[in-house]
Amino acid sequence: MDDLRIPIGAFFAIVGVLLMTVPSARAPLTEVPVNLYAGVSMLIFGGVMLWLARRRS
Amino acid sequence: MRLEIIDYAILALYFVFVLAIGFVIRRRVQSSEDFLTAGRSVPVWITSLAFLAANLGAQEVVGMCASGAKYGLMTAHFYWLGAVPAMMFIGVFMMPFYYGSRARSVPEYLKLRFDEKTRVLNAASFAVMTVFSSGVSMYALGKLFQLVLNWDFTNSVLLSAAIVLVYTFLGGLTSAIYNEVLQFFLIVLGFAPLSILAVMKAGGWKGLATRLPPVMTHTWSYVGSASENPMGVEAFSLIAGLGFVLSFGYWCTDFLVVQRAMAANSMSAARRTPLMAAFPKMVIPFIVILPGIAAIALSHMSVGYSLPPKDGGLDYDQALTTLMAQFYPSGLLGVGLTALMASFMSGMAGNVTAFNTVFTYDLYQGHIRRDAPDSHYLWVGRAATIGGIALSIAAAYLAQRYNNIMDVLQLVFSFVNAPLFATFLLGMFWKRSTGHGAFTGLLAGTAAAAATHGLTLAEGKGGWIATIHQFPSTMAQNFWIAIFAWSVCFVVTIAVSLTTAPKPESELHGLVYGLTKIPHDPAEPWYRRPGPLALIVGVALTILNIIFW
Repeated sequence: MDDLRIPIGAFFAIVGVLLMTVPSARAPLTEVPVNLYAGVSMLIFGGVMLWLARRRS
Repeated sequence: MRLEIIDYAILALYFVFVLAIGFVIRRRVQSSEDFLTAGRSVPVWITSLAFLAANLGAQEVVGMCASGAKYGLMTAHFYWLGAVPAMMFIGVFMMPFYYGSRARSVPEYLKLRFDEKTRVLNAASFAVMTVFSSGVSMYALGKLFQLVLNWDFTNSVLLSAAIVLVYTFLGGLTSAIYNEVLQFFLIVLGFAPLSILAVMKAGGWKGLATRLPPVMTHTWSYVGSASENPMGVEAFSLIAGLGFVLSFGYWCTDFLVVQRAMAANSMSAARRTPLMAAFPKMVIPFIVILPGIAAIALSHMSVGYSLPPKDGGLDYDQALTTLMAQFYPSGLLGVGLTALMASFMSGMAGNVTAFNTVFTYDLYQGHIRRDAPDSHYLWVGRAATIGGIALSIAAAYLAQRYNNIMDVLQLVFSFVNAPLFATFLLGMFWKRSTGHGAFTGLLAGTAAAAATHGLTLAEGKGGWIATIHQFPSTMAQNFWIAIFAWSVCFVVTIAVSLTTAPKPESELHGLVYGLTKIPHDPAEPWYRRPGPLALIVGVALTILNIIFW
């Protein structure tokens, strides 16, 4: 439990999923679904962190 | 800027994680050293990211973006000329003395190397400075959230201070460091999309280069004379003032950052901490400075974005938040604001954990109660955590009420800090330097800094004694103040040292070059040795400077 990669991985995985729930939100100057892109990237980052932590233990 | 439920959810989630880390780490804290120095048990990838994050406060993020908008890519000198070479130096040359001396703080190193009065001078000024700078950044955060979100100043200050208090009180330095790593990733992942979106909208790097005057997209091309660039600095003061005195003074002697490296679990890890940190440090300008540059290009483009005006010019400090409002939809906006909150917290926790260590070991144990059981110092450390945060809050309100006082205080702090690196350089590499020399050198250096400020004028600042020289900008003035302070401290320390009795060599083992065994660990693979790592950092740094020359 003291492996820091677990909370970091979990945090970004959850934030990633949260962002993917609002893929159609747009800001004045963005045309692309940035929430979706950022959400997927964060989910992948969180997943890699969790996988690294799991592989060690 | 209006927030939706999802933005609040992300912010709340972050708070939950930060507090949870504090609660989990609490179980590890048994002694005062666990609490104040993390028991020297933290792995190197964690210390190196914390080394960066402790410095990456909200003011740094907002301020670097503002400087990017105001000065352009020359702002990157703070990283590519300033911070990174200093980080190479401390990792390769200075860490063996800090870590090897078993000192628990930078002032304690001064006590071991020189004497008590030099330590107290450093510890007392450092303690006051950390409290004030955390107060000032708290004030900046409160004002920022008031401006962009209409949040109540008192509420946002107290809420963020309360959360920092809980996790630093519970888990001490370990908890602060662990959270700094989470904060580091959040800052990077939260601001990188802004940089990408803003630069893409402005037509990529080519678009920036064609839309802006060339001085905005180069680092070295326009430093031949001060009149060529908006910073108003020329190459010598830039290299000597920023690249040498100020950067080495901060990255190599400021306990706030050095403490992170000293928490590492071995000498080798302590030396690698700043070197590993140098890699992400080199990339951070692309995340924090580039959006500021893009903001100016976008302002010229009539796409519906412009920097808000202020006093006849532009309000550069709003570059980051106005870009976020234009480019981040709700969701990502929550991430961006959480990153801002995270950068503030990492800066504040850094200050608080450095303050409580210096207070407990250097001031309290050194002068108030020397031989108490360790549990007493653990208690004092926790009390100092609360006291430090309470004083920071007071300083934040002081800053809100009397802005001028804070400006004067920050000026005085810069005078005190300017000569420091000369003292450490002589202390670590010249065994003949003495405590009397170091102490008088520091006082003389500070006096020289004040005198330089009092005798020169720049943008209406300084010249309170007489004006014998005019600088083209306050930036140039600051660099020259640093250069004079450093030189005077260096010369005075040598002169006084030569006329006073040195410490016997038997007391200097592990503290000075020539009397310390520098670890060489040939058994380690090359990528774990400071020398080769520093070489790679140096090559990468040179390439960056050439590409963006």
